[in-house]
Formats: sequence, structure tokens, C-alpha cells
Amino acid sequence: MTTAAPARTPAPARRWRPRALTGGRATGLIPAVVPAVFVVVAFLVPLAGLLVLSLRPTDSLNIPLDGFTLDQYRQVLTTPYLSGSLTESLSLAVRVSLTCLVLAFPVAWYLARTPSGWRKTVVFTITLSPLLTSEVVRSFGWRVVMSGEGPVNRTLQALGLIDASLPLLRSPWTVFLAVVHVLLPFAIIALTASLKGIDDAVLRASADLGAGAVRTFRSVVLPLATPGLVAGGVIVFSLAMGIYVTPLLVGGANQPLAGLRVRDEALVTFNQPRAAALSFVLLIVTLAVVGIATALSRLADRSNRG
Amino acid sequence: MAETTSSPTSASTAVRPSRPSRAPSPVGRRVRRAAVAIPVLLVCAFLVLPLLVVAISSFADRNSFAFPPSGVSLRWYGVVFSSDAWLAALASSGRLLLVVVPIVVVLGVLGGYAVGAGRFPGRQALAVVFLSPIMVPGVMLGLALLHQMQGLGLVGSNAGLVLAHLVVTLPFAIRVIAVSAAALDPRLVRAAQALGASPWRAFLTVTVPLLRPGIVAAGFLAAVISLGEVAVSVFVAGARSATAPVLIYSAVQVQLEPTIAAISTLMLLAAVVVIAVLDRTVRISRFV
Repeated sequence: MTTAAPARTPAPARRWRPRALTGGRATGLIPAVVPAVFVVVAFLVPLAGLLVLSLRPTDSLNIPLDGFTLDQYRQVLTTPYLSGSLTESLSLAVRVSLTCLVLAFPVAWYLARTPSGWRKTVVFTITLSPLLTSEVVRSFGWRVVMSGEGPVNRTLQALGLIDASLPLLRSPWTVFLAVVHVLLPFAIIALTASLKGIDDAVLRASADLGAGAVRTFRSVVLPLATPGLVAGGVIVFSLAMGIYVTPLLVGGANQPLAGLRVRDEALVTFNQPRAAALSFVLLIVTLAVVGIATALSRLADRSNRG
Repeated sequence: MAETTSSPTSASTAVRPSRPSRAPSPVGRRVRRAAVAIPVLLVCAFLVLPLLVVAISSFADRNSFAFPPSGVSLRWYGVVFSSDAWLAALASSGRLLLVVVPIVVVLGVLGGYAVGAGRFPGRQALAVVFLSPIMVPGVMLGLALLHQMQGLGLVGSNAGLVLAHLVVTLPFAIRVIAVSAAALDPRLVRAAQALGASPWRAFLTVTVPLLRPGIVAAGFLAAVISLGEVAVSVFVAGARSATAPVLIYSAVQVQLEPTIAAISTLMLLAAVVVIAVLDRTVRISRFV
């Protein structure tokens, strides 16, 4: 209500400075209140509560006690069972994001540079339908594909490459493949958005100046796609760092990943303060890597332009 | 980086100033087109195959995942529709959807409008706050909500599950609607107000109808995310309020049976229909 009032007074200038008059200096502030309150109450407060919980000491039954200590964080960083899961998650997330970017590039290129048509709708539906299908369904799919009598084992046997079924399900490579499958659509979306922004004229100019396809790709397309590559990589990386449903369903509870350890500490051994501490370390590592990657890409972008 | 991008172009023009690269031969063009098409096909196959395998095994006639199945039957769909547990889970998912989507659309319109079309100090910071739940791993969000709800006695309740799904879907709804709101023409609202509409009435009769494509997309997106959500729900859902994905999550850990494939196929079908309709009606590709 108050937003409209200041806009009415300077009537003569209205026609000439439309931007300043769209509703004063506070357009949109009032609608923002309700969702902002919701996010604070339902998200920031529980997160703060989790931070406090991670600083609590525990008794012999892992029940949180009053008081503050950094003991949980010390345990997380010194117990190999927990700290090892962090490095393992980091390694998985790096491998998964690089693989996703490589696989996403051709599809994103196709989606970004092909005019609409039924072929494009099909490719678009195929790339997005896994994203809109529950993670449990996709993980279950990999369980079936990699099971003892599943298509992979059957095919290998039919080709005479193996005699008995391979125990593919417990393999970390199956988990890797399933996680790539789950997160690939995110990379495709981010890359498509950035490849759409590349002007055809730039590519033609590169060809006219004598650059072949490979060189155009390396010195024109790749630098221009860097923001999209970083955005896609960052999304996939952060999602892979905390993933637990897919590794659990595909590879079992023994996969040494941080997300799974958080779940185990919280729901199996019922040490909630330790689970909280581990999840905060996981979040900090994730945000640190994301921050470094974003800063580096800004630097590279600046030197490209300069 | 800087040297590799700027120098090769100038060097190549100096060495080979007039290479006829304008019109590649038909063979060359075909090779180039295949170079794009083959990786696209392979990646699409990789994305589709596991889902296809699920769909095919749901029609198996025996209780095994031997592939290909020895015969075709609909018995596992029959099992789903005659099982109280699966029906209860499907009903729970559906009820949740009916509550979550309207609330998240209202919150999303308010928040998305503020972030996309608002002009006030701190707008960028507010956008970061709105989108921040995306950056937090699901396992952490689930644990935080579980801990909070233990204090309030909400664990296993429907209210707790609704709250969790709102937190998960709201950032996506706000982002989609903000894209629509950023393209709004502020002159239309000013025209409405000049004609005597109150700010509130102008918002409801001008702004909201203009945001409709974004609102539809946000609603569908929230519905699909809520239908598939597991990572957070596992922490806050109780035995009574378990949704279909949560039940699949527990069932897969115990024993694999084609019933899971049947229910997965049903969910898969729903997702494909939703996305094809969305792309045709509001061209959701604009928003993602």
C-alpha cells in the first residue's frame, strides 16, 4: 500500500523517468515478506538448530547433553571411517562432474542449436524424463540392469566373455555410473542455456578465418561455453557430494560416502550430533570447492576478454 | 588461456589467409552431422536404457529379473492395485501433492515476483536466501528438519511431510516464476493503478495473469519434484505417512520384486506425460 504513494507525487516527471516510478523504491518488498518468513522458519531455523546440535557433547548412549564442545568435529576429522568418507565423496563428485560435462556437451549442443521439431522434442523429453523421475526409480533401474541375471551379465555371457555372473552391484563403478545417470540432466540443462547464447556469426567468422572444426571448438566455443560448464559442473558437484539414496540402493550401505555416513550416524547408530557435525563439514567442503571453482572461472573469463 | 584464445586466430590468418572453408563437400557435411548425432544418440540411450529395463521387467510373468523376461503378464500391476501398502503410499503421495502444490504456488508467486520484478535494496541477498535450500544436501536438510520436528512432535506426521516438501520445492518454484516476472512490463501495472486499481487489485488482476505460464510451469515442476522426493522424506516420514518413493526406497533395500518395477513404471509414465505436455503447452525449456 505504501509503495504506490511516493510514485504519485512527482507527476510531471512521470513520462520521462518511467523506471524510477514503477512503484517507488520498494516494489515487491511486501510480497516478499511471507515467503521470506517461511524460509527463515522452515529452513534457516532448523539449520541453526542443527549447528547447535553439532556442538553438543554426547553421553555413552549418544544422547546429546547440554554444553558446547568441538569434540564431534574432532571425531569427524580424525576417525578414518568418517574423514575417509569425505575424501571418497570428494573424489566421486569430481569424477562424476567431469564425466557429466563431457557427456552433456554434445546433447546440449544439439538442443541449443537445432530448430524445434519432433526430433528435438524427443531428445528433450529423453534428457529431462530421468530428472523428473524419482531418484529411487532410476536407482532401481540400475539395480535391475546390473543384477546377476540382468541385461549386462546376460549380454556378457551370450558373447562368451564370462562364464558366471559378475557381482556388478557391489562395485564402486556401478555406483559411479548410476550417480552420473542421476545427475547428467542437470549438466545438460545448464550447458544448453549457455550454448544458446553463442552467436552463429562468431562460428562463421572463425570458419572464414580458416579455423577447422577442432580449432573453432577449442578456441571459440570452449571459452564462450565456460560459464555454462562451470555452472553445470558446480550443480552436479554439489549434488554428488551429498548424494546417498542412489549409492545406498545400488551399491549397498557399505559404500564409503559422506552422505551415506551422515544417514547411518543419524538413523542407524542414532548419534545425531556426530551426523550433524559430519554434514556441516560436508557442506563447508562443498561450498569451498564451489567458491574456488567460481573464482577461477571468473579469472579465466576476465583474461579471455582482456 | 588468454594466449591460446587470441593468438591462433591471428596466426592462422597470416599463414593461410584464403582457405576455401565456406562450402564443405556433401560427404564432409554428412560426417560432421554424424559426429554430432552419434554422441547424442549414445547419451540418450544411456539415459533411457535403465528406465526401459524397468518398464520391460514390470511385465515379467515370473518373480525374477531375468532379462529378457520369459513371458509377458500384467500380474505385478494387479499386485500393486490389490496391495494395501502400495495403495496407501500412492494415496499419501497424491494427498501430499494436493496440499503442497497450491501452497508452493502462492509462496512462489510472492517470492518470485519480489525477486524477479522487485526494486528494493537487498533484492539480490533475498534471492540467495530463497535459493539457498538447493545448495544444502538432502541428507542434511532431512536431518535438520528431523531434529527440529523431534522437539515439536511432528516426526511422522502429515504436517511435517508437507513442511519438508514445501522447503524442497519452493526454491524451484521461485526461480521459475522469477524468470517470468523479470519479463513483466511495469507500465501495465502502472496503467491499472492510474485507472484506479489498488496495488493489491492490480497485482491480482494484472500481474498474476501475466505470470500464468511461469505459474503453470512452477506448479508442474513442484508436483513432479514432490512426487519423486526421497532424500528428505525418508527422515521425516513415518510408517503411516510414507509416500510411494519412500516405500520403494525401503522395499528395494529388503528384496527386489517386479512389483517395484510395476509401480516405478507407473511413476515413469506420469513423468513422461507431464514433461511432454509441459513442453507443448508452456515450453518449459525456457525456464530451465
